[in-house]
Amino acid sequence: MQLKKPGSVPTALMAASCALLGAGTARADDSYESDDWQVDSALLYYKEDQGRVQAIEPVVSLKRDFGDDRSLGVKLTYDSLSGGSPNGALPSHSPQTFATPSGASLEAPSGEPQTYTTSSGRVVAQLEKVTLYTTEPGKLPLDPNFHDQRVAFSTSWQQRLGEQMRLSVGGDLSHEQDFMSAGLNAALARDFNNKNTTLSLGTNWEADAIRPIGGAPVGGTDYTQLQKGGNESKMVGGALFGITQVLSRRWLAQLNYSYDSSQGYQTDPYKILSVIDAGGNAVGYRFEKRPDSRTRQSVFLENKLALGRDVLDLSLRHMKDNWGIKSQTADLRYRLELGNAMYIEPHARYYKQNAARFYNLYLNAADPAPDFMSADPRLGAFDAMTYGVKFGMTLADKSEVSIRLEQYRQTAQDVPAAFGQLQGLDLNPGLKSFIFQVGWRFSF
Amino acid sequence: MNRPSCVKQPRVAATTFAKFAALCAALILCASARGDTTLDLAAYAGKVIYLDFWASWCAPCRQSFPWMDSVQRDYLSKGLVVVAVNVDQERALADRFLQQMSPHFRIVFDPKGAVAESYKVSGMPASFIIDRHGTVRFRHLGFRDDAKARLDAELNTLLAEK
Amino acid sequence: MMRRVAALAALLCALAATPGCSTVGVKPWQRDLLAKPEMQLDADPLDAAIDEHVYFSKEASSGGRGFGGGGCGCN
Repeated sequence: MQLKKPGSVPTALMAASCALLGAGTARADDSYESDDWQVDSALLYYKEDQGRVQAIEPVVSLKRDFGDDRSLGVKLTYDSLSGGSPNGALPSHSPQTFATPSGASLEAPSGEPQTYTTSSGRVVAQLEKVTLYTTEPGKLPLDPNFHDQRVAFSTSWQQRLGEQMRLSVGGDLSHEQDFMSAGLNAALARDFNNKNTTLSLGTNWEADAIRPIGGAPVGGTDYTQLQKGGNESKMVGGALFGITQVLSRRWLAQLNYSYDSSQGYQTDPYKILSVIDAGGNAVGYRFEKRPDSRTRQSVFLENKLALGRDVLDLSLRHMKDNWGIKSQTADLRYRLELGNAMYIEPHARYYKQNAARFYNLYLNAADPAPDFMSADPRLGAFDAMTYGVKFGMTLADKSEVSIRLEQYRQTAQDVPAAFGQLQGLDLNPGLKSFIFQVGWRFSF
Repeated sequence: MNRPSCVKQPRVAATTFAKFAALCAALILCASARGDTTLDLAAYAGKVIYLDFWASWCAPCRQSFPWMDSVQRDYLSKGLVVVAVNVDQERALADRFLQQMSPHFRIVFDPKGAVAESYKVSGMPASFIIDRHGTVRFRHLGFRDDAKARLDAELNTLLAEK
Repeated sequence: MMRRVAALAALLCALAATPGCSTVGVKPWQRDLLAKPEMQLDADPLDAAIDEHVYFSKEASSGGRGFGGGGCGCN
């Protein structure tokens, strides 16, 4: 479920604890009085092309400084998603009918929809929930019943433990219709060498309850049978070890190694794969099935350089997991100070990953069903480029407003050639999306 | 921002006291045409000196300035002198900080960090409490709310001495 | 990959820990640029969290970022 399940974001939690661990000590700005409260807020609009996912997400983060390097932070996120999400099946020259997750059969429901009148006098049809949907010929099958609301809350406390050490602990909760998550994180940072070197160690734990709408399908089985089970769960644990080093008056670098392990239900319960015969016809579909264990390692290097009044940020990341996926990320930002308390920050990001071992764009009818299978583009081979720009301005009241626009484009790699009945179809169109965000930050 | 400065590194052993350090500092730093960039503590012989190193980019320094103002005012008659050495590399930022804080104690500018080097400043902010004979008796790194009482006690101890 | 990580980490640690190599780094009074809010590793935490969420939903990788270090080094 794209953009729907925060799922295991161990390092996102660490980023949260990081945000709170670092920002407190460094905010030496112009404010005459020391402000105890800091508010950081943003409104995000995310939209994919081709009628796919759309999201609106307001976020508010509050931080209270208690003095002596002690602070408490809370963050609230609300996410409203709508649109359509690819279900993993291939497009076809014939129409294809699928059941929405709540649907119990591929037969159209019989009988008239019952109507009722709301208190305001509006007449609605009781059976408005779509249970079947048909994909037109040539189109990528999208489940149109993709709307959900997510609420997430996180909190973090940081303080000193002696002259050279800092501690951060935090927790987070998130809830959406079919997914709930609770997590804890903790981190220690120790300074050496006149605070030119900092070693950090962090850990996080998360428990997820997955309650797929309609029940979790039995993985790998024939889709048309719609064999559904109940609820599932998974647990995630992770650790991060980092070194931050001041390399010069203008250059700060950080190198992190992180490891995380996810045990339990990793499958996307709403995704299927097309079973294609030698002629390119879709002769059936199967529910996807992923291993119930995933371990990942990544190495991350970030550099921040102060060039005149500007700041250059370059980071690199290499990731490897036990599903056979390897990825590389390069991210570059340049914050250009424009004077008059304004700045502009162009951004470019390159990302590349190869496919998971069990990833298949489709299954061959002639082959026996493999142990694990998924057509989720998220696990496939692709390159992705992001281009963006952010503009920010500090107002007279010392608050900062910002506007950010980013364009993301994912291009599938290693896509098998379309053959037989599949000819003329774009089997893996990739993804195009943009982010538009406005932000407001102030203290009091 | 270019001040003429004699770049001569002093050799201050760990055990040498502020008198020698002050002398070295005075030798290192040349007087400038405008502003106060010398550090000549010999002028304060017989007084207790609170020597503080600060910068506009140092958040705890915002707390230390009101406190230094109040102790300078309270103990002026008893013979306390507060000397605050600024290590900003950009004078304009230091000036803006001073405009906001309006301190009533002596400010010295040390943009090249020679005075800070001579005192082997190992953190920001750093303060040294020097007795009436020019000996550094107490050193502090950082400035915290709960340290104020202790600093007060140390000042009173030295002010009481002859 | 692990060997490369270990080598890189060892290099950074060695640079940091070598006595006389408190030359790698700056004096405490030279942290003016490092103290700037935009020079912090977590300069825009909301942006980072939003990006992380988007990329997590669309890609197989996530996270990697850490915390601690840099800054004015005060207190």
